[in-house]
Amino acid sequence: MPTWFAKQVDENKFAADPAEGPADTEQSVPGAATHRQRRVIHAPLLASAPAVPAGSGIRIKAQLGSLEKQVVLMIDRPVLTGYSFWCASPADAANWSPLALALFDSGGVASVLIHENNITVTHQDTGQESDDAMARRFGQLVRVHLESGLPTMAECFLATMPSEEQVKEALQGAIDDEINPGIAAHSGEITLTAVKGNTAYIKMGGGCQGCAASSVTLRQGVEQSFRTAVPQLGALLDETDHAAGRNPFFTVLPAGMGT
Amino acid sequence: MPRLETLEMTIETGKRGLDRAPAYAINGHQLDFNEISGGNGSRETMRLVGSPQSFPHSLTLTGPDDGFWDIEKIEASFHVSDGGPYTVRLGAVTLDRETCLNLWYDRPPQLLDV
Repeated sequence: MPTWFAKQVDENKFAADPAEGPADTEQSVPGAATHRQRRVIHAPLLASAPAVPAGSGIRIKAQLGSLEKQVVLMIDRPVLTGYSFWCASPADAANWSPLALALFDSGGVASVLIHENNITVTHQDTGQESDDAMARRFGQLVRVHLESGLPTMAECFLATMPSEEQVKEALQGAIDDEINPGIAAHSGEITLTAVKGNTAYIKMGGGCQGCAASSVTLRQGVEQSFRTAVPQLGALLDETDHAAGRNPFFTVLPAGMGT
Repeated sequence: MPRLETLEMTIETGKRGLDRAPAYAINGHQLDFNEISGGNGSRETMRLVGSPQSFPHSLTLTGPDDGFWDIEKIEASFHVSDGGPYTVRLGAVTLDRETCLNLWYDRPPQLLDV
């Protein structure tokens, strides 16, 4: 145990001597003992690059994901409004979305999410194409599709769409029966905050808020349960402020570290 | 999570300044800055350098002990272990004795015109 941590525990406060420094490999325990608990607030994040002047053509920016093989295409106009669409197979894309099918047909695509101005393409890691090249290929394909006047979604897309109430009821059932009992062991809880069209908004509370594994819980737990409960579910958006709160990472000292 | 070696900040103070040297906290552990230059009075600009040498689960700028501190703008540069430095720019905010300002931002995602 680093000397600064022992001192902190002994004196029931954090050391203020910078020469001692914080831990390098051990996680600090903000809630265990502190100089004064303050509420963490956020300042507006300013854009670091000037906006591109408007032009007549379709402008698309691609954001490359750092944690998973994902490209988010941000288009300067709405692509799908009121609803969202997600699919993970060319067969589903063929049924519902000519635009998603075009992306699948271009190769290397694992899933497509279309929501308002954004198209999120999760791709397979073939190692044969750089992320930049893949993003440019997807962007060009979307631009050509939109400029050609082809529809984003098939006409039958809304025909089998459940109502917001039905979506809400089914998702709440998944939360109550499957998700929250499963994450209760970690003191976590999921709250369904809103359903708009077929887009769901959730908040992660308790032990999930600020947890380093919350994104895994969201993708591999919550999202899979939700999509089983509502196959037509589009985007699933996490509204949790994971950095907020006085003590988002720990609520108690880990076992054996309090004495 | 990268190791944060050095944090460099430029803070432009607004109408109400800070009446003591600013401090920051990493993972709840409060530290002083290693270098401070410029002024932290009303409408002044100061440059701060800290060397936390640690893995930030949380990184905050500590508010004043009393009164208010109006900040007009912050430019924070992070020198981390997993690549070159990166910079984020924050807008106006006011801190008081009950608050601290979140300073930790992951490396901004790469954006391309495609």
